[in-house]
Amino acid sequence: MRQKKILIIDDEKTFTVVLKISLEALAKYIVYVENDSSRAVATACKFRPDLILLDIIMPYKEGPDVAIEFKNHPFLKQIPIVFLTANIRPEEIDEQNNRIAGHIFIAKPTPFEDLVQTIDRNIHQSVSL
Amino acid sequence: MDEIRKKFSRPLKVLVIEDNVIDQKILESMLTEPPAIASFLKIAGKLSEGIKLVNEFPFEIAILDLNLPDSQGIETITVFSRHALDLAIVVNTGVYEDDLGLETLKHGAQDFLIKSKYNSYVLNKVLHYCLERKQRERDLVNAYHELKEAQQHLIDSEKFKIVGRLAGGVAHEVKNPLATISYGITYLQQNLKTPDSNQLKVMENIKEAADRADKIVNDLLDFSSLDQFQKTPASIQSVIRKAISLVQYQLDEKQIQLIEIFTDDHDRVMIDKNRIGQVVINLILNAAHAVPPHGEIQISTHLSAWPDLGLPGSWGKPDLFASGEKIVVIRIEDNGVGIPENVLDKIFEPFFTSRRAAGGTGLGLSICRNIMEHHEAGIKIFNRPEGGVCAALCFRALSQAQEDEYAAKKDLNH
Ligand SMILES: Nc1ncnc2c1ncn2[C@@H]1O[C@H](COP(=O)(O)OP(=O)(O)OP(=O)(O)O)[C@@H](O)[C@H]1O
Ligand SMILES: [Mg+2]
Repeated sequence: MRQKKILIIDDEKTFTVVLKISLEALAKYIVYVENDSSRAVATACKFRPDLILLDIIMPYKEGPDVAIEFKNHPFLKQIPIVFLTANIRPEEIDEQNNRIAGHIFIAKPTPFEDLVQTIDRNIHQSVSL
Repeated sequence: MDEIRKKFSRPLKVLVIEDNVIDQKILESMLTEPPAIASFLKIAGKLSEGIKLVNEFPFEIAILDLNLPDSQGIETITVFSRHALDLAIVVNTGVYEDDLGLETLKHGAQDFLIKSKYNSYVLNKVLHYCLERKQRERDLVNAYHELKEAQQHLIDSEKFKIVGRLAGGVAHEVKNPLATISYGITYLQQNLKTPDSNQLKVMENIKEAADRADKIVNDLLDFSSLDQFQKTPASIQSVIRKAISLVQYQLDEKQIQLIEIFTDDHDRVMIDKNRIGQVVINLILNAAHAVPPHGEIQISTHLSAWPDLGLPGSWGKPDLFASGEKIVVIRIEDNGVGIPENVLDKIFEPFFTSRRAAGGTGLGLSICRNIMEHHEAGIKIFNRPEGGVCAALCFRALSQAQEDEYAAKKDLNH
């Protein structure tokens, strides 16, 4: 099976370093990190990920704005996006099946295993680019 | 006028404390000869006897001589009024001494009489005036307490708002580094090849600390999102059942016995189920923290009519509901350590906790109160006479008509 590509867009550097190492330790993903949200689209075009983990509150450009850019993009629009947010409690999301208004949310810090599950559940639906 | 005349001819329950036998006789005849001033009369010759009688009979007013075999002067009134807080007191002095007379008023008397300078008409008038004055004093004291409570509440909710505003911003800043720590530890735990027992212990403790910090941040986040509510018709009992299932583990751990007393009473209310569930969980956990291992917590619900909810004391806010309105009451009771009287009025303050060392933040009850206020519902916490604490919640019951109205509105929106 081909390794899936994940792009993390998050300005918290310590978090992205640890998350990249943790995910790659599972040997099933290749992880790329972008700490500057204003470069999100350009980086995604270059890297062609199977799934994007997107922080919500970031300087320069906020997560939802980045998501809109993706949705309006001819081929980036098919990539599933999982929002990572520090602004809600895990219980609030569980209630709605990890979804708020149709988007997939993960609260920071959700247990690592749950994050992996959510990634795997959503990544399979995507067509590899 | 008639009203007043009636008031002033109502016979009273009188206690006389007087050691001089002649003065006793004079007072007795004035009080009992028709038209009788007193419908009930006891006479004591000593202060100690008088105090004993106060505890046995429901007097309204006492006529008190200051110079008794077992107590003299001002001391007599200070001691007596301490033992007879609810009684109106008239001092009966032998000689007219301006200073002494005024002094007695400062120490709890409502008026004073000079022996042999009054007749039964004056005596009657004085006694009734004293009762009126005592009533006014009581009103004043009550008003003062209510004011004090309202003021404290204002201060609390101001603190609350500030915390709320700060919380949203700070929580985000803290959660990011927390996420790094928590994922970092998970990674090390799973990927370190041959960690020794100390390394394992250190990692475990870092994880535990990060989880605790996360809980505190979540509590703070609750503050910042307290104005978002989704109210729907719900059964209180089902909300309680769900809350119990979420804390069952903690109860089992301490082997606490949970007794549920649910009546078949109507229990439909208009609430945000998650929020009220959160309130119930907070109260159960507070009880669980207070009881000893194998302790007991009892949860019961019943339907009442405002303001008679079958609970001791008043609600502080008598106009929370209209008189006679149907009220769903939840009681969460424990046989734990109880709350010291001197902190009872502080427990709702944000950050007040007696469990700081054990990880309490002191936000639990202030969040509860805020949620209840958003529901225009009541919360009250008091020590039970038999020991332990009772936390009571009360909600306006949802009528069938209101329920139908809600269903109709919902249909319309679909
Ligand atoms: N059932 C109870 N029995 C005894 N004391 C209680 C009870 N409920 C509350 N208290 C007292 O009220 C205080 C405040 O309660 P509150 O729930 O606000 O904070 P906490 O439980 O200390 O911390 P947390 O923020 O974790 O809830 C407690 O620390 C305790 O002293
Ligand atoms: Mg608590």
